[in-house]
Amino acid sequence: MARTDPALRAATARMLIVAVAAGAVVLPLVASDYVIDVAISIVTFGILGLGLNIVVGYAGLLDLGYAAFFAIGAYSTALLETLLHFSFWETLPPSLAFAAVSGVIIGYPTLRLRSDYLAIVTLGFGEIVRIIANNLDITGGPNGIYGINPPVLFGFEISSPATIYGLAWVFLLIVLLFTRRLSASRLGRAWISIREDETAAEAIGVPTLRVKLLAYVMGALVGGFGGSLFAARFGAIDPTGFTYLQSITFLIVVVLGGMGSMPGVLLGAVIVGGLPEALRFLALWREFGFAIGLIVLMLVRPQGLWPARIARRVPLPEDDAGDLRFAGAEAKRGETLLEVKDLGRDFGGVRAVRGVSFTVHRGEILSIIGPNGAGKTTVFNCLTGVIRPSRGEILFRGQRLGHWAPHRVVALGLSRTFQGIRLFPNMTAHQNVLVGMDPHHRVSLVGEILGLPSARRDTREHLGTCRRLLQFVGLEEAAGRRAGDLPYGDQRRLEIARALGAKPELLLLDEPAAGMNPTEKTALMGLIRGIRDLGVTVVLIEHDMMLVMGVSDRVLVMDHGTLIAAGEPAAIQRNERVIDAYLGNDTEADETAGAEEAALWDS
Amino acid sequence: MQAFFQFTVEGLTIGGFYALVALGYTMVYGIIRLINFAHGDVFMVGAFIGWTVLVTLAGTHLPIVLALFVALATSLFFSGALGVVIDRVAYQPLLAAPRLSILITALGVSLALENGVLLIYGPGFLTYPHLLGTAGFTIGGVQISYAQTTMFVISLALMFALYLFVHRTFIGTAMRALAVDQDAARLMGIDVERIIQITFFVGSFLAAAAGMMEGLYYTQINFYMGFLLGLRAFTAAVLGGIGNIPGAMAGGLLIGLLESYGAGYISSRWTDVFVFLVLIGVLVVKPTGLFGERVVERM
Amino acid sequence: MKPQAPKRQPYGTLELGLLNVQDLHVAYGKVEVLHGVSLEVAEGEIVALLGSNGAGKTTTLRTLSGLVRLRQGRIVLGGEDITRLPAHKVVASGLGHVPEGRRIFGPLSVEENLRLGGYLLRHDLAEVEKRVHASYALFPRLAERRHQLAGTLSGGEQQMLAIARALMLEPRLLVLDEPSMGLAPKLVFAIFAIIQQIRAKGTSVLLVEQNARQALRIADRAYVLESGRIALSGPASALAADPRVRAAYLGG
Repeated sequence: MARTDPALRAATARMLIVAVAAGAVVLPLVASDYVIDVAISIVTFGILGLGLNIVVGYAGLLDLGYAAFFAIGAYSTALLETLLHFSFWETLPPSLAFAAVSGVIIGYPTLRLRSDYLAIVTLGFGEIVRIIANNLDITGGPNGIYGINPPVLFGFEISSPATIYGLAWVFLLIVLLFTRRLSASRLGRAWISIREDETAAEAIGVPTLRVKLLAYVMGALVGGFGGSLFAARFGAIDPTGFTYLQSITFLIVVVLGGMGSMPGVLLGAVIVGGLPEALRFLALWREFGFAIGLIVLMLVRPQGLWPARIARRVPLPEDDAGDLRFAGAEAKRGETLLEVKDLGRDFGGVRAVRGVSFTVHRGEILSIIGPNGAGKTTVFNCLTGVIRPSRGEILFRGQRLGHWAPHRVVALGLSRTFQGIRLFPNMTAHQNVLVGMDPHHRVSLVGEILGLPSARRDTREHLGTCRRLLQFVGLEEAAGRRAGDLPYGDQRRLEIARALGAKPELLLLDEPAAGMNPTEKTALMGLIRGIRDLGVTVVLIEHDMMLVMGVSDRVLVMDHGTLIAAGEPAAIQRNERVIDAYLGNDTEADETAGAEEAALWDS
Repeated sequence: MQAFFQFTVEGLTIGGFYALVALGYTMVYGIIRLINFAHGDVFMVGAFIGWTVLVTLAGTHLPIVLALFVALATSLFFSGALGVVIDRVAYQPLLAAPRLSILITALGVSLALENGVLLIYGPGFLTYPHLLGTAGFTIGGVQISYAQTTMFVISLALMFALYLFVHRTFIGTAMRALAVDQDAARLMGIDVERIIQITFFVGSFLAAAAGMMEGLYYTQINFYMGFLLGLRAFTAAVLGGIGNIPGAMAGGLLIGLLESYGAGYISSRWTDVFVFLVLIGVLVVKPTGLFGERVVERM
Repeated sequence: MKPQAPKRQPYGTLELGLLNVQDLHVAYGKVEVLHGVSLEVAEGEIVALLGSNGAGKTTTLRTLSGLVRLRQGRIVLGGEDITRLPAHKVVASGLGHVPEGRRIFGPLSVEENLRLGGYLLRHDLAEVEKRVHASYALFPRLAERRHQLAGTLSGGEQQMLAIARALMLEPRLLVLDEPSMGLAPKLVFAIFAIIQQIRAKGTSVLLVEQNARQALRIADRAYVLESGRIALSGPASALAADPRVRAAYLGG
């Protein structure tokens, strides 16, 4: 299956879709009301599964209270119909609005929490909503609300199983289209990037808090939509339909089918909706059998029955308009771009950086060298807002950084790569670059979802820039490959392309040559100079002396948390202190060896 | 004021149960970062095993104290073993898989235990032998039963024993080391899988103790009891800072008190809303729980 | 201090070193990072493994101690095949590993860290206590801080603790991953002096070091790893004089 030809697979997929569609259309004509009823349940599970999949599958956030949104949609429709005599269709906009607002309410307090805490907070939210519905008089308490009128379309009442079945399918198709467009949008990529590596996503410019909040809101919208359908289907609702167990069932649909995979979620809906019916012969043993089946299925297929596949199709246009060069960079050459004053950072008892000051000028290539553990990466982490400095001041383009969220630092024009490569491994090379570019993408989300012509035009331009960036680092051929499968040298260059996507004025490279062979290193030198020629100032941490001495305008030397030398490469190579610290000194060693070490430890 | 102290006594008694169950959640989470959804159901199974032994022994002429001891020992041992089996069958094979798949098997185990007990014992309430009576004493108008005192003392004693185990023994130190850095622990020669099993055993053991005590205290048990209690115990673990053992103890007592005051001063219908709102409030202000978590975040 | 001549012990008719690694292949996912690494450490030797960051040094060590699964190859320690042994059993067969970045248990006390080093002796508490005290004799600084949380120690103290912890089981081979990382120059010398002491007591040492000059000074032999392959190997003095090594790692 994994190795089949893409064209063949696409043909199989089309046939499968046609078969399912045909089956779905024929079903109400031939099946009994009971079977249609089960089918409606499956379709409803599909809708809610697709909604929860946004939160769990794309954004990787745990949600154990998804039934709350389902309840809010259902109760909104029921209350508006019975109390204010809205028609079913009129209840939809306010009901979606309520669901979205509740998405903000649940999302907001959870944003700063570690993912595991989401479990209990979302679970609590789900329970709160259910208990409120159970306790208030307006919601009918434990009895719920009944006598909800069926939807009427052109004078025709949608109340028979077959017509409700049709309505459910229309809802499902809307949700399918919505979630499909969402997943391909800028927001969809951002969701997957935070699922893959939240720290890296934030550090390359993704506003992770807002992106997470939007995941809850979008998931809530779909959940509320499904809830309205539920109210219309039964004409009566009560709190027992929105329990914790219901939330768990939705989660099972998603994880069993395959997180982040639309066909997987639909398959999960078929199983969760249909299997208990198929197991009716087990009578009392049915629930038990379902539980055991669930465990066995997860053990056999931990990724789900139909795991998400990486989109290999690369829609990069071939046009060659546009330029990566930064306008006006040449004029400001030599100005102060970054100023670091007396920077310090402690980790527990370890003083990693102790009072480092330096300046970076526009248009230069500056290298920071020093032994492992000298504090170089910690300086980078402080500059980019990944960690907070314990002391000192950072001025970038005249702005004081130091307490800014990393994505804001990126927006100001400071971008980076990581020492241990931190690509989004389960995204393709070109998607990685797009995530880096997206914060600068003009297109509106609504435009992307509706597929407006202006949005299409912007997207095309965006993709063109992406292709040029890949071409710039020499990875155009690898655009459609999974980032995690690329050789190390290519991963390093891809990370550079991703960082350049943010249109930085200053690019920080953390050991770009690590793991590269000599040929790749030579090519990297050319690439670094090329980046500078685009108008981007470059600061790099590196150990490879050939590379450092070959490309740098200036070199800073760090040892043991302090700056011990600064100057042009040739001068650094002759500096006695640098040779001592960085390369080790023979003479001193012979003197100290043996005798003094006990005293040293105690010093 | 008298009512306040009365609620406090009640809150501490049930809080002791929550704390014992919360310890299991927190220990397992601390070590393998799994929210063990089946843990509340192990508590329930413990109560049912204890009931079965007690009812069986009721026909014999064994003295009550001895019968209780046998029931307790059987329940705790078999529940501990159940915890180990759950770990081996449903969790160990998935430790390297996506985090959510192991969560789903945990939910599957939870459902399987509930429905398994439902099949064997039926859906109704079973009555525990009335062994504790309602006798007690009164301090300043506040009634405290001997049952409450005993329960609370046993809970505290078990928690203290656990504290000693975790801090004074090699296995306990290994557990704490494992929570910090699994690879470094392996380099010490620690058999990580085995320590995880011991953790499951101890956690389930404590949960079963709480289960039997709850049965003796309220005298009624049913297959669903683990779900509600598990939810609150889990909340307690998070409130105290999940992964933090003293935090789970404090969190358990705190949730017990909150529930008791909530039911006493507001309404028992709103207790859960009250408890969850406090939890969410605490997490918004202090995202790692009241006492912080024992997790070293690595860059 | 002059390097001792390595003592070799015969095994049957073959002369085998203490550690014998043949054709190690290791991959992370689909990306292979070690492409057939072979190396050897004889009884009583200090062997240095050099190479730039990303060359695969740490991966090699983690594979030896069983933390990383290998795809292909064979690892023999003192005549015992430890290729597929899980990490906790490799420790038992006499390989002590001081990992990169020290990896001490920060929330535990210094003494608890040391005791855990003797975890495999836990059924003989007297022996554990004896060895903890032996550690204190070797590192008096740790004795002063015995009840302090390990995470609050300075970098040098943490490195001492990591070494002392790995020595608790008196391993036949001590594997050290960048022990000088982040330390002040004087402490670096002290660490190297200690490594020599450790060898003098009969423990062989495999040393990964970025500070190539220092490493070659105390090592008997060395290997240079480049992009997952052994590029050079030989006596430490020969490598220290080799123009290729000087250019790449010794600053010319």
